Amino acid sequence: MPGADKETDLSERIESFLSELKRCGSGAGSLRGSAETARETTALLRRITAQARWSNAGDLMEIIRKEGRRMTAAQPSVTTVGNMVRRVLKIIREEYARSRGSTEEADQQESLHKLLTSGGSSEDNFRQHFAHLKANVIEAINELLTELEGTTDNISMQALEHIHSNEVIMTIGRSRTVEAFLKDAARKRKFHVMVAECAPFCQGHEMATSLSKEDIETTVIPDAAIFAVMSRVNKVIIGTQTVLANGGLRAVNGTHTLALAAKHHSTPLIVCAPMFKLSPQVSDTPKLSTKNFENTTTNRFGNLILSKVNAHCPVFDYVPPELITLFISNIGGNAPSYIYRLMSELYHPEDHEL
Amino acid sequence: MYVSIFFCSRPLIFCPTLHRSRWRKCAARVFGSREKTRRRPNAAEERNVCHVAAPLTPLSNMAGKAGKPSRPRKADKDEEEQPLQAVLVADSFNRRFFPITKDQPRALLPLANVSMIDYTLEFLTSTGVQETFVFCCWMASKIKEHLQKSKWCRPTSPNVVHVITSDLYRSLGDVLRDVDAKTLVRSDFLLVYGDVVSNIDISQALQEHKQRRSMDKNVSVMTMIFKESPPGHKTRCEDDDIIIAMDGKSKRILHYQRAQALKRLHFPMNIFHSGSDEFEIRFDLLDCHISICSPQVAELFTDNFDYQTKNDFVRGLLVNEEILGNQIHMHVTKDGYGARVSNLLMYDTVSSDTIRRWVYPITPEANFADLEGQSCTHSRHNVYRETGVSLGHGSQMEENVLIGRNTMIGANCTISNTVIGANCVIGDNVTLDRAYIWNRVHIADDVKVKQSVICDNVEVKHGVVLNEQCVLAYNVVVGPDITLPEGTVLSMHHPDEEDDEDDDEFLSDDNDVGYRKDKTKLKVFNPAEVGSEGKGYRWKTSSLEDTEEDELAECIWGEIDFRFSQFLTQSYKISFRNLGKQLTSLLNQFLYHGGKFYKSLLKKWAPVFKNYVKRPQDQLDCLASMEEVFLERETHWAALVKVLMSMYQLEILEEEGIMHWFNQGSTTDKSQQLRRNQGLLKFIQWLQEAEESSEEDE
Repeated sequence: MPGADKETDLSERIESFLSELKRCGSGAGSLRGSAETARETTALLRRITAQARWSNAGDLMEIIRKEGRRMTAAQPSVTTVGNMVRRVLKIIREEYARSRGSTEEADQQESLHKLLTSGGSSEDNFRQHFAHLKANVIEAINELLTELEGTTDNISMQALEHIHSNEVIMTIGRSRTVEAFLKDAARKRKFHVMVAECAPFCQGHEMATSLSKEDIETTVIPDAAIFAVMSRVNKVIIGTQTVLANGGLRAVNGTHTLALAAKHHSTPLIVCAPMFKLSPQVSDTPKLSTKNFENTTTNRFGNLILSKVNAHCPVFDYVPPELITLFISNIGGNAPSYIYRLMSELYHPEDHEL
Repeated sequence: MYVSIFFCSRPLIFCPTLHRSRWRKCAARVFGSREKTRRRPNAAEERNVCHVAAPLTPLSNMAGKAGKPSRPRKADKDEEEQPLQAVLVADSFNRRFFPITKDQPRALLPLANVSMIDYTLEFLTSTGVQETFVFCCWMASKIKEHLQKSKWCRPTSPNVVHVITSDLYRSLGDVLRDVDAKTLVRSDFLLVYGDVVSNIDISQALQEHKQRRSMDKNVSVMTMIFKESPPGHKTRCEDDDIIIAMDGKSKRILHYQRAQALKRLHFPMNIFHSGSDEFEIRFDLLDCHISICSPQVAELFTDNFDYQTKNDFVRGLLVNEEILGNQIHMHVTKDGYGARVSNLLMYDTVSSDTIRRWVYPITPEANFADLEGQSCTHSRHNVYRETGVSLGHGSQMEENVLIGRNTMIGANCTISNTVIGANCVIGDNVTLDRAYIWNRVHIADDVKVKQSVICDNVEVKHGVVLNEQCVLAYNVVVGPDITLPEGTVLSMHHPDEEDDEDDDEFLSDDNDVGYRKDKTKLKVFNPAEVGSEGKGYRWKTSSLEDTEEDELAECIWGEIDFRFSQFLTQSYKISFRNLGKQLTSLLNQFLYHGGKFYKSLLKKWAPVFKNYVKRPQDQLDCLASMEEVFLERETHWAALVKVLMSMYQLEILEEEGIMHWFNQGSTTDKSQQLRRNQGLLKFIQWLQEAEESSEEDE
């Protein structure tokens, strides 16, 4: 029976994606950028849409929500997966509304009045069957995929608007988006980049090597020197792991220090973040994520003391929105205060909790 | 020649004085005179004779298996395309987790609420192993059941797990011989135990191994993985201390020695003549018990019937290196975590390391085993909670705490460095520190637990205090109002049951009465031990310390075994008088170290004894040599009868022989005295009776 075959094939793919997600966590498995994760998630969701059994939009949303919950649970620190699930849910809602003939705007945002009158009954309406829904949804997801593929290019295209000749730019750690952004600017302009090394994992070193290969004048500085060097810096350009709903960041540790130093010297802080990093999470306590990082100084003590020593190594910093000047996403530059608006465009409010 | 000696990764100044003294000693050896060489050319030559025929056996094996699509091992050109395989030994072949392992095999014991075998399989899968053979012996059905339910047996699993069970496995050697007999492995494979917790990335080691193999055809048979951890490091367990002499350039192991209980170190001089000019002698390594083996390893185990453990194998291979030309290499990793849960102390350490995220990305909240409802949240100070946990008013989870699902904790509790399983109920005012509490445990109010293991379904009543290193095995009830001293082990199994079980194959019950009258079984729970409402028996020794003793004994036995087997392989034509000498030394050793294990040892060597002790004269010789030993040690006379009994039961000695020896006119007063020993007289009497009864039967 071909149907059953398809189902097992699908579940196999989902399983392997899940285990991949779990393993890649931070570094153990194949190290991938979040753009790739986003693309893979979307491709998988497209496959689910194409192959799973569903008769109406409500069913499909239920299936996607279920798988989405599993995927986000597999690697809670990777928010991209959840974001992509929300995007796809939003697409289904839109396509459904279009099939029904109602305008997008009507379904867009629940007004206060609408909330009072209709309650939460919108879910019932998804039960109607439309023959073209599947094709439409898949097409819309394909569009999303094309958008994802172009994100880095779209961001780096804006580089020349922000980086001018003979500027001193500071960045921290390694971000593929920032890397592409700087390289793009370097084709036309000459500037100097300071890279904070971002101890203890020192991704900054990789970043610096990669930049210097493109003939960008690059200096690696220790994290402790950030404040001292800041007075010379014209702009700080960083990447981030997640953009939170309030316009804050969850970024690699050390970023908060950098942002505070930039604030002190009134240096503009620009965050390069593609739209798929936008997460409806509001704020976030700094995640502790200790890597297998042997602290050599603790080894000197005897057994007894060592068992009482806890070596914590936080991986992410929370950066409050007040410290950020500008977000550059693939659809243009935005102020942190505008993030909430972008969010309501990207995700449906009912999908914030998967 | 240049020899560098590593005892720890830092300069020697930081070494504890003990190690410095060791350093001096071995330095003296290293630079000392050549006379100290411990080579025995004769022995080597003789052994050579034994091994000439050996390589033929695997080939003939292969020829016999015509049913399978034959893939001659030698012509394995496409080695890179072979999927990586692993052999996982889900049995420890020792009793260090007794009495807990009486109810549950060690591989299934929960470590941070996940079975140990899942950690091992996760490690293997993440290193890219695609096919794993799990070998189980003790409680094999339970392991099988567990694996079938787990994610490893789902059709989507990237790692195909085959479970192979047999009751006949008695050691690692047996398992590998079976691997060879069934020709399970086609190319290089990983060999691990079912209780290894690790996140080491072995791809580099694997590559080096393959490179060595391709460069020097089939010379390097094994690459062992070590983790650098200086003395005093937490994950270092004293029993696992090893000293390794290695070639600094090629990473070849030249000498491998377990350092435990050794006062002096010897390095055979010849290892420093091996062509290289750079040697390292290292004491700062921790054996992760992960090794990359070539298929030859399994073959070598088949060829050498006496190899039982990996220790035997490594030592044997190094001693015979010149003849067989096989080499062992090593790979040292600096980051990464790898440890084997070999005893309860290690259980404590590895558990707390897992909670403290040293084994990242294998952390509790990752729910890598993909169990339903096991997902938990992780918050500051390494506090993990699964779903449905309720915490009473004023209770504090200080740090490094993992609480399983649906566990209820009362008010005003203080919990630190603790793992609590699922569905537990904990009362008010309870203090838990370094406690490992498994599933469905009930703990009443005002209980204090320090560094203890509490197994499934245990009930701890009001006001109980558990001091360090207590173990409450399955279903035990303790209390109320009792303080258990340090190192108490309680189990629902009576300690004597163990002995019975052990001897089942050889003893029928009525044979027992002869010398075991004193062990009238107390089937009544002793309220002084477990409290007025308690249920459970107290085991004799504290388990944590016991493990060390065990280990010591094992080490010595390993040594004796090793020497014995060497001795045997040298020549089959030795007279019994020579063997008698060996026996003497053997007995010496075991008497010296408290003869707890003589039985298993005797059992093991019974066929050898039987081979030599054939004629009545041999028996007399044997007895005489035994007598000699015992005469020197009056305090151990009671043991004589036990040894005799075992040897009689193993059919090494016969009634007539023993009677003849007993009745033989003895010359000295002392031996007369020996013969008047109460136990011996009883034994002789019993023998006579048995004889008579058997005669009557006829």
